[in-house]
Amino acid sequence: MVEFSRRTVLQMLGAGGAVAATSTGFARNAFAAGRDKELNILCWEGYNSAQVLDPFRTEFGATVKAESLTNDPTMVNRLRAGETKVWDLINLNNPWARKLMWPEKLIKPLDQEVFQPYFAKMLPEFKAPFHWAMSDDGKDLLGMAQRFGPYSFVVNTDKVSRKMAEDEGWDLFNDKAIVGRYGVQESDDWNVFDMFLVAGIDPFKVHNDAEMATFLATAKRIYKGAKLIGDMASLNQALISGEIDLYLTGGTYSVSPARADGYPNLRGITPLRGPMNGKGGVMWIEVTSTVNNPNLSPLAPKFLEYVQRPEVAHTVAFAEGTFNPVSQMGNPECFKLFTKDELEAIQWDSLQEEMARSVAYDIVPDYEKALDLLNAAKRERG
Amino acid sequence: MESHALQIQDSAISGAVKKSRGPLLTPGARCALPVIVLLLLGFAAPLTAVIAYSFAEPHSFNVFSSFSFANYAEIFNTENTVWMSFLWSLSLAAVTVLMLSVIAYPIAYGMVYVFGRWSGLVSTLFVFPLFISENVRLYGWVLFFIKNGVFDGTLNLLGGADAPEVLYSPGIILFGMIYTYLPYMLFPLVLGLSLLPRDVVDAAKDLGASRYQVWREIELPLAMPGFMIGLLLTFVLAVGAIAESKVLGGQSVIVLTHDIEVSFTYAQNWPLGSALAVLITLITGGLTLFMLFKLDLDRVLGRK
Repeated sequence: MVEFSRRTVLQMLGAGGAVAATSTGFARNAFAAGRDKELNILCWEGYNSAQVLDPFRTEFGATVKAESLTNDPTMVNRLRAGETKVWDLINLNNPWARKLMWPEKLIKPLDQEVFQPYFAKMLPEFKAPFHWAMSDDGKDLLGMAQRFGPYSFVVNTDKVSRKMAEDEGWDLFNDKAIVGRYGVQESDDWNVFDMFLVAGIDPFKVHNDAEMATFLATAKRIYKGAKLIGDMASLNQALISGEIDLYLTGGTYSVSPARADGYPNLRGITPLRGPMNGKGGVMWIEVTSTVNNPNLSPLAPKFLEYVQRPEVAHTVAFAEGTFNPVSQMGNPECFKLFTKDELEAIQWDSLQEEMARSVAYDIVPDYEKALDLLNAAKRERG
Repeated sequence: MESHALQIQDSAISGAVKKSRGPLLTPGARCALPVIVLLLLGFAAPLTAVIAYSFAEPHSFNVFSSFSFANYAEIFNTENTVWMSFLWSLSLAAVTVLMLSVIAYPIAYGMVYVFGRWSGLVSTLFVFPLFISENVRLYGWVLFFIKNGVFDGTLNLLGGADAPEVLYSPGIILFGMIYTYLPYMLFPLVLGLSLLPRDVVDAAKDLGASRYQVWREIELPLAMPGFMIGLLLTFVLAVGAIAESKVLGGQSVIVLTHDIEVSFTYAQNWPLGSALAVLITLITGGLTLFMLFKLDLDRVLGRK
């Protein structure tokens, strides 16, 4: 029988601890040195789905981690707070790469020789040099465009006709007859745009005190008259059940799952006119960029190339959560993969005209002030 | 001179040896060390970070490198209406706790004294929903109460009447909170009541106490430890509730947790969100300590 004194046990524990510490150190060094089999993606939902990631994992033998968030400011600030060391790719709406992440050195440019040719195969709106993918001086390519869509409001066309909704546009929400018949989506950054638009003010400029006062009054009225504020699933459910007839903010992104589920009477609407140089709709385009990670995974550009493939682009368009058009639909090889029902779900019939009536999502210069007013207005609901 | 130096060295060495032989920590402190380390890492560290953030410059990440009262000044600014959110959160939590006391007591009493062998099944019925995510359960209630949903459809089928509109109102938020937090009040109460010695109740009855007197002077005071734990647990949880207001209530009222969430997400004002979190923690902690102080837990627990 072996007898252990307390000292022997402590010595053994100490030795074990030292071995563990050394091996962890080696692991950490290995982690820092070679990241050729590892990829971390910060993205909107869809890119984190197994349908998109699993084939990439298999093909490249990679460990891919993807975190999905549902608003741009949070993701941008994750990088600002120091997470550039963590992430390899960031997927955001159009203005952030060009206007904020590139000037703040949060992202790296892409190899133009590799990536510019892909734009030639995209829909006409995305032909190179695509404005939102380029740096201000036009020299650097900052990301790749894929999902996009108009995003203004959604109606149940059985209750409010498409023609009337498009014609009245944002003024529809100024009509007292719809009090208690509409919902508001909880995407507060988009709601800032919409409250300005309902008030007849261009959101994407600096606003004077009078405009801010009108914005506040409009926000109070809209929130007070709303049946509910909720996520898009709750709002679609409320539309289907008849609790509400329309909601803002919404569009292809939010209503396509309901349309695909057999409710084509629910429809994203882009107003015919509005206060943004005559345009009334707002659209978004996702741009995916490589993060300025000091130890960027070589798989990051590989993944960007991977999602350009026609079959993967189609998967991205119909990944779990929401269904959206993709810029790669300009390539006939990709377009032919979309069924009639899928095209119906993403409102392909009116997509081009809706995009033409929309301005691109942009950063509101006085967003912080407007958001404070918006939240104050929301509190007055109760 | 040399020998004096050696003497000093010797005495220093012997002092060190003496010191090393004496226990650095008492056995109790040594046993508590793992818990202390865990609390420091898991409780004190994040709380310190939140407190530090609450004093950082607004809209910045300059934690520990800047100091400002601006976030608190913003909250106490007379034009800021965030007090409404504080009021809603605290009121909803207070009413929830009050309602739960009334609802859970008879159920707990039944489980301890009345249901007999069925009390196991009743317990399971109350525990089972906890295995399902709170959000899923709340969305289930939406489908039940929504227009043309389960409730409305059933009423229409039976008598042609429409169900009352209950969704998207403060009332349904309260319902959701009572539903969600019922087990957290019920089981401490069951524990409290099961600790009650039956002999004492029998003795009181033998001595001529009325049913009310037995409840007021025997059952309630002796069940108080469980009752207190239930009250505090549900109050603290209910103050932090957000899903009920969002899913069932359609944000018909804005609770404080929503304001904190907006500060950390859309507003990207972590310092303001932290200041709000610190204030609600202080209010909740203060109320809890006040209650404990007033109710004298030692007396309640029978240690005096």
